[in-house]
Amino acid sequence: MNIFLHELKAYRKSLIIWSLSLLLIVVLFMSFYPSFAKDSEEFTKIMAGYPEAIRNALGVNLGNFFTILGFYCFPLSFITLCGAIQAMNLGTGIVSKEVREKTADFLLTKPVTRTTVLTSKLLAAFSVLVITTIVYITAASIMAFQVKTDDFSFKLFIMLSLTMFFVQLIFLAFGIIISVVVPKIKSVLTVSLATVFAFYFLGMFTEGAKRYFSPFNYFDTAFIIKNKSYEASFLIAGAIIIILAIAASYFVYAKKDIHSV
Amino acid sequence: MNVIEIKNLTKTYGKARGITDISFNVEEGEIFGFIGPNGAGKSTTIRTLLSLIYPTSGSAAIFGKDCIQFAPEIKKEIGYLPSEVFYYDNMKVKDLLNYSASFYKKDCRKRIIELANIMDLDLNKKIDDLSLGNKKKVGIVQGLLHEPKLIILDEPTSGLDPLIQQKFFELLEEENKKGATILFSSHILSEVQRLCNRVAIIKEGKIVTVEKISTLQENNYKKFKMETKSALEANYFQISGVNNLEIRGNLTSFLFRGNINTVMRKIADIEITNLWIEEPDLEEIFMHYYEKEA
Repeated sequence: MNIFLHELKAYRKSLIIWSLSLLLIVVLFMSFYPSFAKDSEEFTKIMAGYPEAIRNALGVNLGNFFTILGFYCFPLSFITLCGAIQAMNLGTGIVSKEVREKTADFLLTKPVTRTTVLTSKLLAAFSVLVITTIVYITAASIMAFQVKTDDFSFKLFIMLSLTMFFVQLIFLAFGIIISVVVPKIKSVLTVSLATVFAFYFLGMFTEGAKRYFSPFNYFDTAFIIKNKSYEASFLIAGAIIIILAIAASYFVYAKKDIHSV
Repeated sequence: MNVIEIKNLTKTYGKARGITDISFNVEEGEIFGFIGPNGAGKSTTIRTLLSLIYPTSGSAAIFGKDCIQFAPEIKKEIGYLPSEVFYYDNMKVKDLLNYSASFYKKDCRKRIIELANIMDLDLNKKIDDLSLGNKKKVGIVQGLLHEPKLIILDEPTSGLDPLIQQKFFELLEEENKKGATILFSSHILSEVQRLCNRVAIIKEGKIVTVEKISTLQENNYKKFKMETKSALEANYFQISGVNNLEIRGNLTSFLFRGNINTVMRKIADIEITNLWIEEPDLEEIFMHYYEKEA
């Protein structure tokens, strides 16, 4: 419990910054919606000129772009990208920051098992993501109700918003396994940005079965709006990735030699 | 009773580093020196004891329990001070020490204040703003605040000024009197000589010898140096036990091992103006072990 609280305290600043940034982005984007809905036809023409891959990456679905849910998918794809970076930073930092700041000696000579250490840190990171998501969804919902021109399904809105959280969980798991396996990570940001953007671009250009390669493809917003549900196979794939990565992290971390640097 | 029992401990990693077949025991209540130059394997041994790294083969037990299997339990009673201390920079000293204390199910507040007073440490400063020596003090308080039964120190004195070092040694001796066992690793012989009862000498990952400090010194030469009125005959001190005889004008020096009375009688027969008889310091003994093996 003490490690959990300590970690949470250490994340305080970054939590505030990330939550506020996501909040600002969604407020900014959603405030465009009213004027945007007015000029819908011209926008359709412009967007139709873009290649489909780009449109998909931007979360633009021409069919329902001008409903508020359809429009919301556009900032959401960008917010998901930011959220993924936040999650990856957290994950990568979990163990590596102890190594980089050389505090591992302090923590691991205390009467706690490594499993306890990792669990506490993991829960702290998880909590940060939960709080971020709550702040974000609250802000997004308020905005959506402010700017709506028609009624929309709030349940669907939450479902769409939660996809960010699911993607975050996957990247958190990625980050943890990297931080446990790589002996020394000099800069968390480099590693996390590189990984997240690699997957993001991979996600832009993969279709069909290859969609499994990028977590950014696991939640097709058009599909969710149309079918009012997630794609089960991708939910399972995401869960498997998370479970495997975390299980492997526990295994590696318990056996790992902590060298003095 | 042995507080630490190390049996055939081996750890290999990389090519040159590591330890081979290390065995020694540390008894309850002693201050045990662990000495060797940098890179000899002191830290590797200590980190294995603390289960920061895992042995390739062999085992070690602390308080009679395997140090890997029962690591969390054992560590309740261990205080550890690494050679380089690094703490969460943006914390205050006070907060860090409280965080450290929160791992032990004891009330350590009083002890923290006591120790901080002894070490002259400002609890309200940020760790970031501390000098190396002051960080080290944080490390000392952090290692002792839960009144551990076993104190493990890995080259603890670097960065401490002589005054604080003195206080620190007194603190250790006090803890030792209260019953704490201390494993003191160092490459500085004088501090080991000052504090320790017994010492293990490690060289290139292997234990060269485990001895009482007093035995180490007894088994060794005494250094004689004298100034005489007139130059001595070259063969005056040619008796058994004398080595390295050197006569330079009125100054005669040699090393002697054996019954000291024979030398004293010889000296009594000549006219001297000054006389020095010195214990060899550990440095010389140490070099002796190192050269012998080389």
